[in-house]
Amino acid sequence: MSTVVNLDRISKSYEQKIAVRELSLQIEEGTMFGLLGPNGSGKTSSIRMMIGITLPDSGTVNLFGKPFSRESLKRVGYLPEERGLYKKMKVMDQLAFMGELRGLDPAVAGKRAHDWCERMQILEAVNKKTEELSKGMQQKIQFIATLLHDPDLVIMDEPFSGLDPVNATLLQDTLIDLKNAGKAILFSTHRMDQVEKLCDAICLIDRGRPVLQGGMREVKSRYERNRVAMNFEGDASFLQHPAIAIYKNYSGQAEIELKPGANAQDLLREAVGKVTITKFELMEPSLEEIFIRTVGEKVDA
Amino acid sequence: MRDIWLIAKREYLEQVKGKAFKVTTILIPVVFAAIFGVIAIAGKNSGVGKHVVIATADPTLAERVRNPLIADKDAEMIVDVVAPATEADHERLLAQVDQKQIDGFLWLTIDGGTANATFESRSSGDFATEGRLQSAVNRALVEQRLAARGIPASDVQALTKDIDMKTVQVKNGKETATNALSTFWAAYVMAFLLSFTVVMYGMNVGRSVIQEKTSRIFEVMLATVTPGDMLAGKLIGIGAVGLTQIGIWVTAAALFAGSAMGMRLMSGDMKIHVSVPEVVLFILYFVLGYALYSTLFAGLAATCDTEQELQQYSPLAAVPIWLSFGMIAFIVSNPNSVWSVAISMFPPCAPITMFLRLASQFPPYWQIALSLGLMVLSVYIVLWLSSRIYRVGILMYGKRATLPEMLRWLRYS
Repeated sequence: MSTVVNLDRISKSYEQKIAVRELSLQIEEGTMFGLLGPNGSGKTSSIRMMIGITLPDSGTVNLFGKPFSRESLKRVGYLPEERGLYKKMKVMDQLAFMGELRGLDPAVAGKRAHDWCERMQILEAVNKKTEELSKGMQQKIQFIATLLHDPDLVIMDEPFSGLDPVNATLLQDTLIDLKNAGKAILFSTHRMDQVEKLCDAICLIDRGRPVLQGGMREVKSRYERNRVAMNFEGDASFLQHPAIAIYKNYSGQAEIELKPGANAQDLLREAVGKVTITKFELMEPSLEEIFIRTVGEKVDA
Repeated sequence: MRDIWLIAKREYLEQVKGKAFKVTTILIPVVFAAIFGVIAIAGKNSGVGKHVVIATADPTLAERVRNPLIADKDAEMIVDVVAPATEADHERLLAQVDQKQIDGFLWLTIDGGTANATFESRSSGDFATEGRLQSAVNRALVEQRLAARGIPASDVQALTKDIDMKTVQVKNGKETATNALSTFWAAYVMAFLLSFTVVMYGMNVGRSVIQEKTSRIFEVMLATVTPGDMLAGKLIGIGAVGLTQIGIWVTAAALFAGSAMGMRLMSGDMKIHVSVPEVVLFILYFVLGYALYSTLFAGLAATCDTEQELQQYSPLAAVPIWLSFGMIAFIVSNPNSVWSVAISMFPPCAPITMFLRLASQFPPYWQIALSLGLMVLSVYIVLWLSSRIYRVGILMYGKRATLPEMLRWLRYS
């Protein structure tokens, strides 16, 4: 596996505001990388530096194992958060134009655009002007424009925002196909729940600083499985068990947080004797919780 | 270079295929023709068919004034005579003017050697009629005085005969037979055409930048092309659209002039004579003028979010044009005065004013070279500033940027 993106301590500030501070990250080929953080935390600024739209004040950007050069942009597909199309242009002309700009020759660009439109089931729209199309169709065309030149690195900034569920699933499936074909994929989002199952590696950033990063499993394994969701019928007195730190009981549906180091199996044994259990699930913390915990700790420190 | 070419081609095709291009290509010459037509017709018809009365004590003098007025077939004037006229006639004529029975009357008195002429009418701006009366009165007085000195009537006619003045322009020390008006009209039309197209296409670039901004296409594009290439492609593409449109007009005008109807219309004073240096200069001034206004508006447009916001900057284009055309009369009659030379060096006004100067006299080549040089310099400066503002502005959404913000953007890399 080779490293596609390597950022080494990049920083960028505007006026008084520090947009990105000392961000380092690596993205390997064949992986899906999530750049996560709340709105305004520096995700878009980081991406813009990654592909040379802005230059970092300090630090270095390496793409495909070489220092950044505009030539490598021909191997990158970027779908920005603020994205659009030329309204007056016909779909096919538009896609061919985007393909040509990324170094394809017109015939190849036209052929690939046709294939992608077929795959995305929008062939009937190719001779219409963009402004005549529905929003969902325009979104599909934006994906195609991003992927037309078969980029080795796909960067999508808040790709799921504003997507209808059908297109969101379509995009998700397309990204997984690309990943399996060995492409490196980076996407940024503030909706952490959406991407938990997609990412192989993540970087959480807050106020321009990376607060947590690594492989998804590895990050999660740093946090104990100390939450229990259970449904039961009967006497709730077992909730006084010493392993439980906090609990909320909504008439037979309990959300429980265990004390550090406590054994969930002890609690289960205790409960089995007292109530009828219909569900007992030991849950790992969600990314969102991890984020809140991490950022919360930093704030407290 | 390939990116610039692709972007220019896209911009060019989109605009040339667009509705606005077709409409303006047809409409602008129609409007032009209408404006010039109205001016020409109004000029010919002003002061036509007037009913005036000549009132004086001396019937012979009155006849002498009346004769040339009636002889002028174009004026179609009805001229009555009241002679000898009294104070009561004056009151009666005033009443007739007031009741619109006559358009006006000429009150002519001779007091010893001095003559006094007063034309009384409702309108005060009828220069054509006043001019005709003036010359008729002067001529009548000369005839009257010559007759008084005993010169025979036939000799008086010969002595006071009018002549038509011919105009001959001196070019490079040689007399050229072209009518002065034909070169004047050519340069005049070119100045109009320049002002129209330079500003129209300059604003067009601004609008195109705004459209790309509102359609959120910029960041998509910037993932592969540089802002500089985008701007260059846009300027070249839209500039080519402008040249195409002018080319269509010129071709159409040449075909029209070659046709039978055109031949008849364009003969005489309305004949248009275009020389090779004028064509070359026209292209140079169009390209430079367009470059100046389009780079300015590209930079400004990048700071705005809507076309309405951009409209607030339109005086930047309008004021130089008003200024240039406000000086038409002055420049045409004093093409080599300090002010005329100065304004034709001032880059925002140079394309128009230099052609107004060309209308009356070909300026020295060094002045043309200097004015072109100054334009190149100003294009360079505006391009430098605009491209910096553009680079930052196209990624900024929200409210229109203020001047201090723009100044800060200049420092970003």
